[in-house]
Amino acid sequence: MTEARNGRWGRLAAWFDTRLGLTYPLLRPAPRYSINPFYWLGALTVVAFLIQGVTGMMMMLYYVPSPSDAFSSTQYMIQSVYYGRFLQTVHLYTAYAMIMLAFMHMMRSYFVSVHKKPRELMWVVGMVMGFVTLGFGFTGYLLPWTVVSKSATDVGIGIIDALPRTISSFLTFLIIGAGGDATELLRFYDLHVVVLPAALLVLLTVKMYMLEAHGIAEPTTGPPIDQKASRSLPIFPDVTVYLLGLAAMFGSAMLLISAIFPLSLPPEYSPQLAAQLTAQPDWYFLWIYQILKISAFEGLGLPAALGLVTLIFVALLALPFIDRGHSRRIAERPIFVTIGLIFIGELFLLSYWGLESPGQVIPTYEAALLIVAIALLVGDCSFALYTVMGARGAPKPDSEKVSKTQGRFRTALAFVLLISGGAIAIGASLNAIVDLFLYGTSASSLVQLGLSTGFLGIVAFSTVFFMYRMELAGASLKRRLDWFEIGWSANDSR
Amino acid sequence: MIPVRRVVALFLLLQLVSTGYLWTVNAIGTVSEARFAVFLAVNLLSFSIVAYIYTHDKWGEAIARGWVLVGALGLVLLLLSSLYFS
Repeated sequence: MTEARNGRWGRLAAWFDTRLGLTYPLLRPAPRYSINPFYWLGALTVVAFLIQGVTGMMMMLYYVPSPSDAFSSTQYMIQSVYYGRFLQTVHLYTAYAMIMLAFMHMMRSYFVSVHKKPRELMWVVGMVMGFVTLGFGFTGYLLPWTVVSKSATDVGIGIIDALPRTISSFLTFLIIGAGGDATELLRFYDLHVVVLPAALLVLLTVKMYMLEAHGIAEPTTGPPIDQKASRSLPIFPDVTVYLLGLAAMFGSAMLLISAIFPLSLPPEYSPQLAAQLTAQPDWYFLWIYQILKISAFEGLGLPAALGLVTLIFVALLALPFIDRGHSRRIAERPIFVTIGLIFIGELFLLSYWGLESPGQVIPTYEAALLIVAIALLVGDCSFALYTVMGARGAPKPDSEKVSKTQGRFRTALAFVLLISGGAIAIGASLNAIVDLFLYGTSASSLVQLGLSTGFLGIVAFSTVFFMYRMELAGASLKRRLDWFEIGWSANDSR
Repeated sequence: MIPVRRVVALFLLLQLVSTGYLWTVNAIGTVSEARFAVFLAVNLLSFSIVAYIYTHDKWGEAIARGWVLVGALGLVLLLLSSLYFS
């Protein structure tokens, strides 16, 4: 706070202090329980954005956004400019880290229900920031004008045509303009260095304002917060020094990765080279790429695939208005937590699969089989974990006490999941064994056999565990049928 | 046993030395740029250890020697890896 100061300089400092509020506590203190890296994933994402800004501005000194010079200026930077390769490598890996951190921040917020009242709009703004971050990735990928980046971007732009006419016209105007490589590159450059950073800064300001209004959400796991954990720590210097330390650790990890894997530029784009290459997007778009490659979505089915991807993004955006339960504790949200885990599992599956099968059309039955298998596997594991945690005496809220109808439904659902999971696992195992006999031993068939038998084992374990939990194993057939009919009741000690 | 607070001086010294070294490097090419990156990483990691000790000491909480040791080990590995980039 401003205090009475003597002397000319003191009065001048006080004048500025009164106007600018330099010594006023601008930011609200942070509770002690928030001193945990998981609480600051969003802050680390901002740190990555700042590194992007600094390295990007330095690269702008040399980069020329025209099809004839984009590649050569990038190459010149790498080969002839001091720290040129270093800057580009750090820019690239920090961009990847920014996307990964934003994803981790989103999933962490989802699991600990930060999106619930009163932070619904914080979630919505955060999701829009996530889309802008993906936009950074999409626009920045084209700029070096390599055969890999140009081909992948062209595929992405080609997909826009499958969107409804109004949207596709707007997007085409926005990112391609009148058409032609020169306009396309210039539009991408403008979006990357002006429009998207400005949009992200505005959104960040709005989100920071809301964070100041609502404060940091309380933890949803562990023991109740005591006085020690809830005590306030001033933003400066305590939390600032903590955050700088965290940012320094993140920065040193980025630098180490940059030292070990320095950037090497693919060949320059030319239509001849592009014709020989199978276009593949960067890793964060691989899951969409894989969905688009499912045979059911080929050709006329493309709008349906885009509709599906849009639906996923809309569901994420509107999550606070879908998941409206009051509880924030993970132990009390088995369904939404399981859905979140399945979402992560599917993203990893589709991304890895997309990476391993460039340009390959995926038969619909194969895609459906694997997507359902992963959903069942993750669902079963989550179900088993919740059951074990429940059995180990985790607090059981009132909302977990089930009626007879709910019990019947849950029992039936569990059996359906286990039976279908078992059927898929047995089918996949047999398929792998037949492959081994027919085509000989190969790494992929061995991996398939290992995964499918592992999945079968988990399903078998879950079935046995489920039977024992319901005390079915040693009972008579009549009692088994009775149990199957009524499920577990409110009195059952689940 | 060496008090953890006194170790801070070592980390600060390491920061000072690595900063001095970084000023002498004119990095161009994969090897010198990797060496620059490694020494900058050393600098940042030293700072994060100092920040950890400072904050926990200020809050009156126990400074986990294990974490400081892990950080120090990381620094040693980084310094050793700089030999690879020379």
